[in-house]
Amino acid sequence: MLVPTFALIFFVNLYPLVRGGVISFQRLTVFNLNNPRFVGWSNYRAIITDPGFPRLLWNTFVWIACSVAFQFLFGLILALLLAKPFPGRGLYMGLVFYPWALSGFAIGLLWSWLLNGQFGIVNDILMRLGLIKVPIGFLSDERFAMFSVILVNVWYGIPFFAIMLLAAIQSIPSELYEAAQIDGAGVFRKLFYVTLPYIRPTIYSTILLRIIWVMNFPDIIYGMTRGGPAGATNILSVHMINIVYYRNNFGLASALGMIMTAILMVFAIIYLVLLERGEFEL
Amino acid sequence: MKERRLQVVLRIVGLSIFLIVAIFPLVWIFLTSIKPATEVYTFPVKYLPSKPTFEAYRYLFSFARFNVYFKNSFIVATTSAGLSTLFSLVAGYILTREQFRLRTFLILLLFFVQMLPTYLIMIPQFTMFSKLKLTNTLTSVIIIYTGFGSAFGTIMARAFLKNLPRTIEEAAMIDGCNRLQVLFKIVVPLLLPGVGSIFSFCFVNSWNEVFTAVLFLHTDRKMTVPVALYSFVSKAGIQWNVMAAGIVVALLPTIVVFMLAQKYIVEGLTQGAIKA
Repeated sequence: MLVPTFALIFFVNLYPLVRGGVISFQRLTVFNLNNPRFVGWSNYRAIITDPGFPRLLWNTFVWIACSVAFQFLFGLILALLLAKPFPGRGLYMGLVFYPWALSGFAIGLLWSWLLNGQFGIVNDILMRLGLIKVPIGFLSDERFAMFSVILVNVWYGIPFFAIMLLAAIQSIPSELYEAAQIDGAGVFRKLFYVTLPYIRPTIYSTILLRIIWVMNFPDIIYGMTRGGPAGATNILSVHMINIVYYRNNFGLASALGMIMTAILMVFAIIYLVLLERGEFEL
Repeated sequence: MKERRLQVVLRIVGLSIFLIVAIFPLVWIFLTSIKPATEVYTFPVKYLPSKPTFEAYRYLFSFARFNVYFKNSFIVATTSAGLSTLFSLVAGYILTREQFRLRTFLILLLFFVQMLPTYLIMIPQFTMFSKLKLTNTLTSVIIIYTGFGSAFGTIMARAFLKNLPRTIEEAAMIDGCNRLQVLFKIVVPLLLPGVGSIFSFCFVNSWNEVFTAVLFLHTDRKMTVPVALYSFVSKAGIQWNVMAAGIVVALLPTIVVFMLAQKYIVEGLTQGAIKA
């Protein structure tokens, strides 16, 4: 009875992964779909020797590191604020957690309007507060573009962290806090000596999963800048989609895809090893 | 005592900030969508429309054919979510209730597959489906979304099923029910929150998927809402009030699903579903 499900997954997910490996060694575009030509490693060479490649890697690293760090920080703060019950908490959680369910692409478009350099509400507010004198080109200025897309990704990712961390915090036995109370611990001591150590496995697994997820999440950037201006927000995943959509070069895109799959597998193995060691539960 | 009061105040301030930051973007895009075109492009910004209008929505659903796109999205998301839920329940049930040699391997395989982002394998999928003459059909994306949905749905189903006591099932087995009968007559009714959670996850992911859809669906009659939004961006002369209305239409269904199924979704997330 497992056959239908796994046959489907094989057909839709696994076999294409292998086919992608084959295509990465071919010259294949939309125009020669039926007679691809074998070209050896040249697609890989083209990706790696591209003068823009180091910057692509650096951008991807910055995107992941900053997004996940701040998603975690704000997610933790929100989870701590929600830890004790208060009237209307269920409704409140609905209203702050809903971004989890939204389309990343549509959210990118939405924020590109809020951050618009000419008519954007964010510029309007900053100017009324007297913080800036002229509007900032959040998406058109190379110095601000990466900051802007990360800002939106942080906004988008807070609910996920908050949900996971809140569940972990609520599983902490109250006796631990009572004991800390008797020992005269204040808010911060309780946080650093009770809460954080207790939820450490959740923190590790959530961060690791989020790194994998954010690395492979081009939706927001695609809605905001499509990797621009001048490659300022171009990350691996966005670059791959641009190669497919604008250059229609399937072979080249597949080579990049295989490189990304390899990176993904490294993280997947780290995750599974930690799982195996019982750092967190499957 | 003084410290306690300070804590309460800080907590209320903190919660208020998170609430405003979470909701404001949505409020703003809605306000933009009900402004007449002339009031969208002003700076300093005009906060409220002088006369709220639904002309942008009228334009979307008559001229820009969003009625077609919305219907397509709805068909794709509900069909693939329904099928994924079915596949996941069966596979998840067998994986928790029966011991066999490849079990651990299959579970690890599922974990890996559900980490795959859709766009990473869209090219080989495209070449495969074009050989089958299935590109530019809703069927193609339904099949693809069902594949992805079944992978993480099975993991979720397994997490829910692990917590279910087996005594009733065993009694039913003794009474001569087979595995499938036990699953659908006894387990599923007990597992409705889990079923709701799996369905909501799959619905949300299918509704939101954009990159495969853009590659596969290129004629007007087949487009889903995200594809239409994507084509808006490159189309000249789309006003931002219309764009804003399109964004609202794209976001609203998943917000409704989230609000209805919030409890189950949160439970699903924390039960070991790892599709963020």
